[in-house]
Amino acid sequence: MKTILITLTFFTAITLNAQAGYEKGMTKAFDLWEQNKTDEAINLFERIARAEKENWLPFYYAAQVHVFTTFEIKDAKEIESRLKKAQDFLNEAKTFSKDNAEILIVEAMLNTAYVVYNPSVYGMTHSAKVEELYQKAKALEPENPRAMLYHTEWKMGGAKFWGKDPKAFCPEIEKAILYFEKEANHDEPFYPNWGMNQVERVQQNCK
Amino acid sequence: MKPAFTLFFILFLSSMIAQTTITGTVTDNKEIPITGANIYLDGTYDGSSSDENGTFSFTSSETGQQTLIVSFLSFETYYLLKEITDMKDLDIKLKEDVNSLGSVVLNAGSFSAGDNSKTSVLTPLDIVTTAGSAGDYIAALQTLPGTSNVSEDGRLFVRGGDANETNIYIDGLRVFQPFLATTNNIPTRGRFSSFLFKGTNFSTGGYSAEFGDALSSVLLLNTIDEPDQEKTELQFINVGLGGGNTQKWKNSSLSVNAFYINLKPYQDIIEQRVEWIKPYESLSGEAVYRHKFDNGLLKIYGGLNYADFELIQEDINVPEGANFGLKNRNLYLNASYNGSLGNDWDITTGASFANDYNDVKVVDTDIDDDENSFHLKLKLRKRFSNRFKLNLGAEQFLNTFSETADSPDFDTFKTRYSNNSTAIFTEANVFFSKKLAMQIGARGVHNELLDYTKISPRASLAYKTSSKSQISLAYGDFYQAAKNDVLKYTTTLEPEKSSHYILNYLYQNNGRTFRAEGYYKTYDNLIKFDTEFAEFDSNFNNTGDGYATGVDIFWRDNKSIKNLEYWASYSYLDTERNYKNYPNKATPNFAATHNLSLVTKYWISDWKSLLSTTYNFASGRPYNDPNTGVFQNQKTKTFNSLNFSWAYLISQQKILYFSVSNVLDFDNVFNYQYSNTPNANGDFARRAIKPNADQFFILGFFWTISTDKKDNQLDNL
Repeated sequence: MKTILITLTFFTAITLNAQAGYEKGMTKAFDLWEQNKTDEAINLFERIARAEKENWLPFYYAAQVHVFTTFEIKDAKEIESRLKKAQDFLNEAKTFSKDNAEILIVEAMLNTAYVVYNPSVYGMTHSAKVEELYQKAKALEPENPRAMLYHTEWKMGGAKFWGKDPKAFCPEIEKAILYFEKEANHDEPFYPNWGMNQVERVQQNCK
Repeated sequence: MKPAFTLFFILFLSSMIAQTTITGTVTDNKEIPITGANIYLDGTYDGSSSDENGTFSFTSSETGQQTLIVSFLSFETYYLLKEITDMKDLDIKLKEDVNSLGSVVLNAGSFSAGDNSKTSVLTPLDIVTTAGSAGDYIAALQTLPGTSNVSEDGRLFVRGGDANETNIYIDGLRVFQPFLATTNNIPTRGRFSSFLFKGTNFSTGGYSAEFGDALSSVLLLNTIDEPDQEKTELQFINVGLGGGNTQKWKNSSLSVNAFYINLKPYQDIIEQRVEWIKPYESLSGEAVYRHKFDNGLLKIYGGLNYADFELIQEDINVPEGANFGLKNRNLYLNASYNGSLGNDWDITTGASFANDYNDVKVVDTDIDDDENSFHLKLKLRKRFSNRFKLNLGAEQFLNTFSETADSPDFDTFKTRYSNNSTAIFTEANVFFSKKLAMQIGARGVHNELLDYTKISPRASLAYKTSSKSQISLAYGDFYQAAKNDVLKYTTTLEPEKSSHYILNYLYQNNGRTFRAEGYYKTYDNLIKFDTEFAEFDSNFNNTGDGYATGVDIFWRDNKSIKNLEYWASYSYLDTERNYKNYPNKATPNFAATHNLSLVTKYWISDWKSLLSTTYNFASGRPYNDPNTGVFQNQKTKTFNSLNFSWAYLISQQKILYFSVSNVLDFDNVFNYQYSNTPNANGDFARRAIKPNADQFFILGFFWTISTDKKDNQLDNL
């Protein structure tokens, strides 16, 4: 009995340690990202992803940091390399989590990045992809606030381009806010719940 | 208390485990430090990023043999298996990933269009928004250097070669009749709708050993792997109407489209130089099915096309004109599979089949011909490393042709033959570094009908001279068997042969591309005959020869002027050949010395309009004037044409399109036809061969219906 207990305790301690390591690692990566050390954050997410093996989250965040970074930079070669790498990470994330709305949302943003960076080359081909990915994400999770918010932003961009009033989509932002408020804390630590702070920026279109 | 103590002890122990510090520097192969590389021990969280000096340091509690991994964007990932205590002051040199952006590209001779190719000079959209192309992807390629402007024909004439010297492939499989059936001086267009293709590679010489039986050029078209979304498309234009639909399922998709063209209403309004008895009418349908498997992709394409017209052609020797009628039916099927076999082996295999039936009436002769063609192909590709890849493959062509000619002048004349050939090829792709790459291969072909076996070597080399420029070289031998027009009378000919030597310079910088290519090409064993046309009583031989040399210049700029994209192409061509019934070496009628194209596309966002113009210029084309006594030594006046198109986006999914060719109404002459017999003064009278209408107008409305209301058909125009 004693032996069993000791062994049990031993294993619990090990997993606790590992779990603690994961949380520590992820928290550190988010800290690095917050401090704008994007490459270090990506590297840490990637290290965690490789060590964790079957966890989609670190791959997802590594991709997300790459995608967000490309909105800030101008160098064509760097943008293309980062987006390519981000797509690789997302593909790996997808192997561990199929039909995941969150991954599709970041993939839609990745394709948006292509369109933003070179509309004449990617506008035609990637716009349709962006749309399709948001549709798919919404089909999987009709009340996903990020899908609602970023899809709305994308549609507003389209409306502006077509000389139409983006305000037509403002009620959808309200819906996104509602979904953000309703969004329950997920059991899985570090499960995506970001985006609420972007509402204000998107709402600029409604003023 | 004991278990608690144990737990405490274990936790204490794990924090007591000796820490090893791992240190080192990451540089590229020129010792330049790499900042931001990811360095870590495989399977652990232990790691760090390199700093601005390329140095890194981190601690780990792991022991024994460990794998250290170093990765960075656009470099090959580095692995080091070592005793952890020995991982000190490591000097790590990362190798550049030769597959990444900025690597040298083997591009001598070729132009690619697509968003995934590193040296794309055109985007897929460019192909179809080029003014004057009227939705025909072939017409858009005619604005690239290396092609001659032969607008009365419509096909591709590349670097002194005639239109038969270019082969077209869809997904790696031969297209046997890529152009709509037509007759002299009525320009043709590509048979396939451009929206099926995602990428195009147009090689004007020195192409891969995978392709053969073409002396000058190959055009490779790749169909879309997965359509973006489900949609219905409708097209209404002044010369016809069409529609299409795409459906998607989890792992498969189906696209179908149909188009009906009738030129009668148009030709009733716009005057033509040709007298049409039955204006051009055609009906075509296409379907593509795609299915994704776990390790591969299957695509099946089918197209059926029916066309019918009859006209009276002007002919100086026949005052009342020559009556010509044609009914054509063409079926084309193409199935290809592309997949991975594991262990870095890839397979590409497929088959294409075409049945082409023509019912031709020339004055009172009735000719029926029927041709069946098969192409079977298997290609394997082994990736030994990022730097060495090997392709090998085999293909079989089966072709049967039968023709029946009926005329009051002679009895029924029947011809039938089978022309089968087998080819094997292999090619190695070697990257010595990110800067230097080579492709070397060979192709062997055996033709059963003509009983010959030929081996042709192919090689190309590319070297990156700076981050924005590269030079490349290509060499190759090419063989081509005689075509139907000769094979139906003789089967004892050698294949025609050409050799290409190409030197290419490419400069790309931030939306600007400059490309210059010089080439020299020799022709041997060209087919000659001793009658005006190839006929049943002609004597054929292989004694013809020729050469072509020239320089092709291409400049494209998307950046200098906002909302304006433009490109300019210039080709200089010096060519002479002795073939067909030529008495001596001469420059053929299709080969003008200077060809120039200027293409502009201007987007006016306030008007939601894309305005495109294309200006084409060609210097005078050689023609033969029997009054001079010297063969083919006259030149027509220069060719000029300015085409304009306007796409107006009414809303996201509705487009109004207008285009007009030759806006300035230049009077162009392609050639002259001389009378067979001199008049009373001893002069041969002549007739100018001109376009059958100087201008062509298109007015169309394109409507896309899709769930997202975003997509439109700008890419079909």
